[in-house]
Amino acid sequence: MSSTNGIPPVTLANVPPLASSRSAQVARGDGAAGPNAGTFAVKSGLAQMLKGGVIMDVINAEQARIAEEAGACAVMALERVPADIRKEGGVARMSDPSMIKEIIDAVTIPVMAKCRIGHFVEAQILQAVGVDYIDESEVLTPADEQHHINKQGFKVPFVCGAKNLGEALRRISEGAAFIRTKGEAGTGNVIEAVRHCRTVNAEIRKAAAMGEEELFAYAKEIGAPYHLLKETARLKRLPVVNFAAGGVATPADAALMMQLGCDGVFVGSGIFLSGDPAKRARAIVQAVTHYNDPQKLAEVSQNLGPAMVGLTITKGMQGGLLAERGW
Amino acid sequence: MCDYEPSGMPIILALQGAFAEHQTTLNNLANKSCTKVKSMPKLLSKLVRTPAELAECDALIIPGGESTTMALLARISGLLEPLREFVQRKPVWGTCAGAILLAESIEGSKKGGQELLGGMAVKIGRNGFGSQIDSFEAPLLCSPEAVALTKRPEEFVGVFIRAPVVLGITEDPSRPKIQVLAKISPEALPKSEDATDSTTPEDDPRLIVALRQGHLVLTTFHPELTKDDRFHEYFVLEVVMPTFSAPPTPS
Repeated sequence: MSSTNGIPPVTLANVPPLASSRSAQVARGDGAAGPNAGTFAVKSGLAQMLKGGVIMDVINAEQARIAEEAGACAVMALERVPADIRKEGGVARMSDPSMIKEIIDAVTIPVMAKCRIGHFVEAQILQAVGVDYIDESEVLTPADEQHHINKQGFKVPFVCGAKNLGEALRRISEGAAFIRTKGEAGTGNVIEAVRHCRTVNAEIRKAAAMGEEELFAYAKEIGAPYHLLKETARLKRLPVVNFAAGGVATPADAALMMQLGCDGVFVGSGIFLSGDPAKRARAIVQAVTHYNDPQKLAEVSQNLGPAMVGLTITKGMQGGLLAERGW
Repeated sequence: MCDYEPSGMPIILALQGAFAEHQTTLNNLANKSCTKVKSMPKLLSKLVRTPAELAECDALIIPGGESTTMALLARISGLLEPLREFVQRKPVWGTCAGAILLAESIEGSKKGGQELLGGMAVKIGRNGFGSQIDSFEAPLLCSPEAVALTKRPEEFVGVFIRAPVVLGITEDPSRPKIQVLAKISPEALPKSEDATDSTTPEDDPRLIVALRQGHLVLTTFHPELTKDDRFHEYFVLEVVMPTFSAPPTPS
């Protein structure tokens, strides 16, 4: 199934000014784009272009270049990878804009950055910096324990994590144009990502078999807006692109998530905390393209050096359960 | 049942990007083939990831996505040379990232440059309009020479996402003539920051958003993201089909 069906018909208007260079665009920030920029088709369209690809966490321009050379379809700029946030503790916030700008100037692929849940000013700053996508992320310390950002008003698109269908549709209703599993970031343990992906798939299958009256009741039960649940049931998939994230550490993990029906994969700590980041990054990129070809997967999984050290996920683990953040 | 034999076989390069969207549009076109569009052949679309799969193709669509990722995956999958050879002989349409790969020269590529397939005498600039917040939608002005594009009166709306721009065209009498299929209006073209003159001349190459050279087509926008299937119809009926009825044009 394609997610094109989920995108509303396009409309006309004016067109934004042309930036003479990438950094000129960055300096200009928001406000220059015309009324026809930042439409939902354009926001979800970029996520559609990332499909079948790997988005890699990077903490500086050098890592961003390694990721680009390894075939990443986008990079996520952040100061500490989730495993280090978990280890070091403290409040995790948006990254320094100067570091994000350096990464934007170092690569040609899209650059994403994270803001805290509910911290709409961090999001305004990231939009002004010129990032291509914002991740309103449970990996950072939440700034609001009740509200997520109203993402509709931003020109820059947002990706959000979800553990189940209700959460995914609440985020889409707030304006997210791209959904990912939460997984359990910084653990190198894929079990939670699998759980979230299977939960969303099972709930979609359940909704798809329901009659109209049942859908009204189910929308109430899972806390999802009815119109989005109905559209999801009709499409038999989320109405936006859906990636796997949280705990993906090997090419096999990535291919597992693809075979479970994800459109692509985020890899956080798994690449740059492993023995040979460039080689592992390239192997995961190939695994996502050839996810249905075990011969090819065997080939790319060979001699990658040590993977990141994995953690068992328990309630009392260091850094706590990040997936529980988000409402 | 359909009376038409399977003949046109546009295949979609499925290394990375929006290949499923192209396939959905082609499948919808195929379903129309028996009813609305009489001249439409029965279409078979397949996804290509290996040289063996490419060898079975009669035509190819290179989807939108990240051109650096696709070029790298093409190289490590052993597809780069087979693709370059394919582009010389058979119909190929590149959208956005695919358009970048079909160009012969490029500006704004990653450090250390980028591998291209070439084939079209065009110079292209990556991310020509800026980053994602400058991505936009705009109505297209289509050439009447392309029947499928202009037979219906409503405008085709192009979705431009971190889109490349055409920076120049090389005229070479020994090669097939370059035909402009669609432009955006000068008012639609974003004004550059440092430009003192606010008007954009009619002949600015950046206004060109769809081009054809012989059996090759490029579009800098994403026809696979809209429900309008006229560009897909154009590619099948006016680019792919003639190669089955006529001897191949020497390149």
